[in-house]
Amino acid sequence: MEFQAVLMAAGGGSRMTDLTYNTPKAMLPVGNKPLMWYPLNLLERVGFEEVIVITTKEVQKMMSADPKIKQDVKMKLEVVCIQEDGDMGTADALRHIQPKIKTDILVVSCDLITDAALHEVVDLFRAHNATLAMLMSKAHEFTETVPGQKGKKKTAEQRDFVGVDESGKRLLFMANEADLEEGLSIRKSILRKHPRVHIKTGLVDAHLYCLKKSVVDFLTDNKSISSIRGELVPYLVRKQFSKTINGQKTKDDVEDQNQKKSDSSTNLELHISSRDEPLLQLAQERSCWNDHRGDMSEAYHGGKLRCYVHIMDQGLCYRVNTLAAYIEANRLAPKLFEEPVVHPSAVTSERCQIGSDSIIGASCQVAEKTSIKRSTIGNSTTVKEKVKVTNSIIMHGVTIEEGCNIQGSVICSNAIIGRGADLKYCLVGNGQRIEPEAEKTNEVIVGTDQLMEI
Amino acid sequence: QCATKRKQKKTCAWEQPLLQAVLIADSFNRRFFPISKDQPRALLPLGNVAMIDYTLEFLTSTGVQETFVFCCWMSNKIKEHLLKSKWCRPTSPNTVHIITSDLYRSLGDVLRDVDAKALVRSDFVLVYGDVVSNIDISQALQEHRHRRKIEKNISVMTMIFKESSPGHKSRCEEDDIIVAMDSKSQRVLHYQKTQGLKRLHFPMNIFHSGSDEFEIRYDLLDCHISICSPQVAELFTDNFDYQTRNDFVRGILVNEEILGNQIHMHVTKDGYGARVSNLLMYDAVSSDLVRRWVYPLTPEANFTDQKGQSCTHSRHNVYRGSGVSLGHGSQMEENLLIGCDTSIGANCHISNSVIGYNCTIGDNVILDRAYIWNNVHIASNVVISQSVVCDKAEVKEGVKLNKQCVLAYNVVIGPNISLPEGTVVSMHHPEEEEEDDDEFLSDDGEVGQSQDKTKQKAFNPAEVGAEGRGYIWKASSLDDTEEEELSQCLWGLVLNPDPDSDSEASEPDGSSFSSDPCAAVFSCAVFQIEVLGTLQRGLEENIGCDNLVLEINSLKYAYNINMKEVLQILTRVVLDFPFQQQGPQLTTPQYAALLLPLLKKWAGVFKNYVKRAQDHMDCLSAFEEYFLEQESHWGAMFKILMTMYQLEIVEEEIILRWFSQGATTDKGRQLRNNQGVRMRRQGGGEGNTEGKGSYLKSFI
Repeated sequence: MEFQAVLMAAGGGSRMTDLTYNTPKAMLPVGNKPLMWYPLNLLERVGFEEVIVITTKEVQKMMSADPKIKQDVKMKLEVVCIQEDGDMGTADALRHIQPKIKTDILVVSCDLITDAALHEVVDLFRAHNATLAMLMSKAHEFTETVPGQKGKKKTAEQRDFVGVDESGKRLLFMANEADLEEGLSIRKSILRKHPRVHIKTGLVDAHLYCLKKSVVDFLTDNKSISSIRGELVPYLVRKQFSKTINGQKTKDDVEDQNQKKSDSSTNLELHISSRDEPLLQLAQERSCWNDHRGDMSEAYHGGKLRCYVHIMDQGLCYRVNTLAAYIEANRLAPKLFEEPVVHPSAVTSERCQIGSDSIIGASCQVAEKTSIKRSTIGNSTTVKEKVKVTNSIIMHGVTIEEGCNIQGSVICSNAIIGRGADLKYCLVGNGQRIEPEAEKTNEVIVGTDQLMEI
Repeated sequence: QCATKRKQKKTCAWEQPLLQAVLIADSFNRRFFPISKDQPRALLPLGNVAMIDYTLEFLTSTGVQETFVFCCWMSNKIKEHLLKSKWCRPTSPNTVHIITSDLYRSLGDVLRDVDAKALVRSDFVLVYGDVVSNIDISQALQEHRHRRKIEKNISVMTMIFKESSPGHKSRCEEDDIIVAMDSKSQRVLHYQKTQGLKRLHFPMNIFHSGSDEFEIRYDLLDCHISICSPQVAELFTDNFDYQTRNDFVRGILVNEEILGNQIHMHVTKDGYGARVSNLLMYDAVSSDLVRRWVYPLTPEANFTDQKGQSCTHSRHNVYRGSGVSLGHGSQMEENLLIGCDTSIGANCHISNSVIGYNCTIGDNVILDRAYIWNNVHIASNVVISQSVVCDKAEVKEGVKLNKQCVLAYNVVIGPNISLPEGTVVSMHHPEEEEEDDDEFLSDDGEVGQSQDKTKQKAFNPAEVGAEGRGYIWKASSLDDTEEEELSQCLWGLVLNPDPDSDSEASEPDGSSFSSDPCAAVFSCAVFQIEVLGTLQRGLEENIGCDNLVLEINSLKYAYNINMKEVLQILTRVVLDFPFQQQGPQLTTPQYAALLLPLLKKWAGVFKNYVKRAQDHMDCLSAFEEYFLEQESHWGAMFKILMTMYQLEIVEEEIILRWFSQGATTDKGRQLRNNQGVRMRRQGGGEGNTEGKGSYLKSFI
């Protein structure tokens, strides 16, 4: 076994609380499948037989009840529960399962929907004997109107700066615009090694990482790192260009705190160099291959720690962590997998129009004279007569009374839409009841208790 | 009339406007002194051809039809040379106009003159007279024109770069540049010389250009060739402070938002382009030329079309002119160019060298990387390595020229002397230059060996040999970093043979981006050393406080130190200064006596940094920290504090607040008590009601 796969499915979905109030992010329906089904399917497609799933008790319960995961996923799922409110970061979770880790690992987040060729990332990892290999993709523009969002969302969000070398594979630095207020500063010695640095912005980190086992071991030694994306990855990327030999020399005159740090980093370095098997090293010495040209120094300039990134040029890659991304993913999910539009167990009237770009879930009831276009209807949902649903996401167990017109909206589970209601670009929270004949545009309708939370 | 012309252009698109070039046949610096005292730089031979000929050949072959050659220094020599050359023959496809003026002091002056005389009508090529290149810039020109057509008059300049990895020998360390560019539009966003910098800093605003892909390129060699629009000349007129192209580029980039002008770049992969900006570059370009990197501009091509300058090319890149004679047992090893009518004696070993016309070389001579110009006499048993010997110089028997020696025109050396590395010998006296106007007055009466009336001083036989003629110019020291020294250093900075070693060693555990605390502590330590050095130099050379502040500020940026740390380190360095100067055995009174004048001297520096109340506090805490370590000198502490107060470095209120503040350690408390007790004992009677300062003043 070369890799152990780890699925991080404990996230709460803090950036789309309206949706995740009652349903944990991992179980949100996307194309009538729970979100975590997609990364699981991705892993299964490339041939994994076992996956460690890090999640919460709640999700575990729901997983065991979900038919999709029970039937479709053939892999052996080893579920590890962590405390819900423990404030555990992804790196903490890795540390938690360290005893189970025997090989290098592939970490996937539960909100990743992609048709990326995983082997591209893994090949980078293998070819360069890398410490870290990750996946990124060009950011997509979300075209759909997002309920409750006033006006066009400005791109005021801080951009991530990703620096790669000439080949576009070696990851040289990562920084967020917010941390670079005083400008970007690069050591000249790095530029000597990598004279041509491409700086890309507008990339999405897919949160898919190949990591060496030694990194997980390093995490157990170094408790201060709690998140993979926030701390571990930037740390590894930085560490590529520092030399520990010198670090030891100066150790005497730096303070205790730093000493600890350099201690632990030497630890990491030692592990990594011990992983460089002698045969591999010999091959590298004897090989005429080099990762750079221009100067005559050895491949990788003798650096042991190397980070790589695969940047997807085309194809799908979404991280479902905002409402906009959720809507977009629902729109695209049917195109990813060919499945019948109407679930066999659903009951649809013959005189209703269902577009081929829609999905009707199991045990649904769709009455006469309804029209469903570009929408997803969840399991056990009842749609009464003369209802028009376009561009919307209807989750499970929703009841839509007669004559409703629903456009561009998201209706969460167990909501009831009153007769003749007209909803445009709305988000209806879990279990909400919309009054008959209500007319709402661009509103977020959630329970009062939910509002208190925010 | 202009409009009709433009219309014509539109109607017949294939007819490009006449391509013009501005060639600056002056470097406006004295890097090649003393060689360029006798011959302008543009006429110095490179591979036995004057440098300006390479530049003109490059311009002509790239399609330039009209060239304006601007000369200042020794303009009549350049004029004479050009009038004799093929460029001024009626068949030349490139019309050369020579414009001379003694008033040009910089590139800026020349371009302002171009604007004043309205010489250029469309895009033109701007190049120096010491550029050797075979780049075909037609593609860059096309791109440039295209850009200007699409966005009218936005892009004013296209700079030509050559791809060349760091560490390549044709990269000039002084001219080392870093460029940030927009990958898609090839727009230059940031352009900086990197010499002496350890960290390279890019301001954030360059990333706000709306693009999502940028490139930082350190693999570029500035060819000093640029395609300019006529606006460039106008911009130089508008901004009379622009002196060099560097000023211009920086000005445009910084004021991009205001003026809306942009600079683009073109990178060539296979062309060759380099500027001979110092002798090291001369060495590099010469050897590239002999190794045929500048093809088709090769020595045997005789592109200047001068009679009797042809030579043959044989393997190992050995070029021989006609009439070359070679003695028995002599070896022409490789990469060697020998001009016409040169005779070489027996048992010589010659490699990687260029030898000019009509030279005579004796027996048993070893030449490696030697550049021997014309009519040079070299006697037997001479060893020359990596040196330049100018026209009509004479090297007598048994002379050894170590690396990077220069024998200027007509110098005689030897016999039997070894010149140390980096010796420059010239017939001009080094001081004569400074005393240009009154050189005849400065005769000090010493009897010269020479009858020449410009020679005021005797040649020193210990320096140039018993029969030698010439004065030693200040040996160019390579580690000198001062700019003024550098401008006189003929050989430039050597590319660091192992570039990793220095930077890595000095910044060992540093992260690439300054967030690692280890690196921060370390850079603090280096910063401290640097500040100490600065102050020491300040003391020796009597540098004013303003300039010290400037230097410290630049160090602050170089090591990424924040203001608080600057203050702490500065305080520490100043307090420690007497010990650094005199050693740790100083007694307390001695220490105080040494320190007090220093404090007075540098009060201005402190005042610059100590402004807010917090700064005062930081200063005091650094003070406290220092004395906690120097327990034996607590006696001086009070006096120092008093002086600091009198010099208004720290305010009274803050001192009092500092006293009253709880100490963090036992020792600190002890220290404060020691102070506080003295305060109370001496100042108790007066009270602090008498206005500002009375409390402390009472101790004076």
